[in-house]
Amino acid sequence: MDVFSNLALGFSVALSLQNLFWCFMGAFIGTAIGVLPGVGPVATMALLLPVTYFLTPEGALIMLAGIYYGAQYGGSTTAILVNLPGEASSVVTALDGYAMARQGRAGPALAIAAIGSFIAGTFATFLIVLAAPPLTKLAQQFAPADYFSLMVLGLVLAVVMASGSILKAVGMIFLGMLLGLVGTDVNTGNTRFTFGVSDLFDGIGFVIVAMGVFGIAEIIKNLGDTTRRDLLSSKIEGLMPTREDLKRSAMPILRGTILGSLLGILPGGGAVLASFSSYSLEKKLSATPEMFGKGMIEGVAGPESANNAAAQTSFIPMLTLGIPANAVMAMMIGGMMIHGIVPGPQVMEQKPGLFWGMIVSMWIGNAMLVILNLPLIGMWVKMLLVPYRLLSIAILFFCAIGVYSLNNLHTEVYFMAMFGVLGYVFIKLGCEPAPLLLGYLLGPLMEVYMRRAMLLSRGDPFIFFQRPLSLAFLTIAVLVLIFIMLPNFRKARETAFQE
Amino acid sequence: MRLKDQDFLSGLMFLLFGAAALITIYFYDKLSMGTAQRPGTGVLPAILAWCLIGTGVVLMGKTVVATSEPLAGWAWRPLLAVTAATIAFGLFIDDLGLILTMIISLTLCAAGTPETKWFEYTVFLAIMIAGGVGTFIWLLGMPIPIWPTRIPSFLSFILR
Repeated sequence: MDVFSNLALGFSVALSLQNLFWCFMGAFIGTAIGVLPGVGPVATMALLLPVTYFLTPEGALIMLAGIYYGAQYGGSTTAILVNLPGEASSVVTALDGYAMARQGRAGPALAIAAIGSFIAGTFATFLIVLAAPPLTKLAQQFAPADYFSLMVLGLVLAVVMASGSILKAVGMIFLGMLLGLVGTDVNTGNTRFTFGVSDLFDGIGFVIVAMGVFGIAEIIKNLGDTTRRDLLSSKIEGLMPTREDLKRSAMPILRGTILGSLLGILPGGGAVLASFSSYSLEKKLSATPEMFGKGMIEGVAGPESANNAAAQTSFIPMLTLGIPANAVMAMMIGGMMIHGIVPGPQVMEQKPGLFWGMIVSMWIGNAMLVILNLPLIGMWVKMLLVPYRLLSIAILFFCAIGVYSLNNLHTEVYFMAMFGVLGYVFIKLGCEPAPLLLGYLLGPLMEVYMRRAMLLSRGDPFIFFQRPLSLAFLTIAVLVLIFIMLPNFRKARETAFQE
Repeated sequence: MRLKDQDFLSGLMFLLFGAAALITIYFYDKLSMGTAQRPGTGVLPAILAWCLIGTGVVLMGKTVVATSEPLAGWAWRPLLAVTAATIAFGLFIDDLGLILTMIISLTLCAAGTPETKWFEYTVFLAIMIAGGVGTFIWLLGMPIPIWPTRIPSFLSFILR
């Protein structure tokens, strides 16, 4: 019965007029940036973080969540229609979706993508509802040592899932953790790495790092990228998929949903990994694998369901444990911290309205997206006509005024410019910025838990191996590390990301 | 081994960051290491700095055996223009008001790409200014002046 009372509470929050509006706004903005290549959900969420300061905590988180799953829908629209994946998670959708569009079957491809996404979103939402309370109960029994080890495990998994070089991801995590430690140490009052600059005493703001590395750096990169693709506009005739289409899509949608849900929960996983894995799974299971890439509807149904399911379930570790699984969840945590909410298992008990309201809003948002997207496809495609030379100017302005609006400090705008240059250097060196952000968030937390654990154990570092949970987390972390050193696995990982 | 390898250079970057952090910890901030029971302020930063140095050395060492992708050319024009635009925003926003700051900053950004069509840009700038003043000052009530209030402090010594 608990599930139903929780859901009822969630609906009462999510269905308030105000929150419905923010849910719609999030889904709408998300679709828009999903359509536009070169503007991702992470950058957009970073841009809107200062704006959420003006909203209620519920409205803020509902909108931020909407941007993420909205982007999954928008990304697939342009992938199918113009072979231009708006998001990394729709790259595989373009393979068969665009092929279908060229055969004049863009309508069914779009419809199946939307239907699959909705089914996956619904399933994943219920998975969150079912999984969150027991996980939260478990998390409440964690001692400081357990938390520390869990974060170590989270970071190790994030490294494995990162698409580029493992060593670079490791380096970025260490660098991010160091950045997170800048400022005054709460325990001793000593300042670290501030060089006497008083605006650094409170640390470098999350929004500043995120906007610099994801917003400003991407403008520089995209403006320097001279390869532009021409727009081909294809006509959409008839949205309705045939009975044959539906029959062929049913199983891929189901498999994609389950696979995506599982991959979404893992730290470092998320929508991109899920869509790629689902595509290769469908290809392996198909009786005619050679037809993939030539307009197989299975190649649209599977990945599109998988990326949406993963987008939803990646909220689970963030909501229950307070640990960000990827850069988007890091943004969600940033949004919570702006409103003074400390992410962790206590959120569900202390703010049940926020917790369940957000979860229910995801389901409502998914329904909105199906209604919003199919009739408005023409409008979304038109949006592609906005050239990046103008878009970049707007993004820069929103970044600058957004950072300035946080504390009315012009020095923070300079810090953002610095992180913009640094972020561009990362891009040039092939270093993914997402692990940096995870390290930035987890670094200070790990220090707190490490200190508490050492204090409780009276300075005995073996505390981390004596508690069963902590030992289990560390053992898994070490096993994973040994595993990725094995040459066989490294080869498999490389081919997995190449596909 | 090529010095322009992405891996080599990122290794070097991690190494430099780690070394700079260590120097700051020991000589500038002079952080205490504390005891095992009460680890001091410097413990985690020092561990991280050493880990960063280690990662950097391994990355650089790897390029001795196997080369990686070389560094592609830098996009200097957008890099300089966008950075200048951001810094200009911070420099002027307190004193020159939103409108003038936007004109300076956004024009710098537009100079970052040869694709900018200046007539189109002027129209777009006007729309952005109207939208910016409307949203951030009237709607959200941010305490930013619309028009210039005084000569920026860093410029006043020139004019005096």
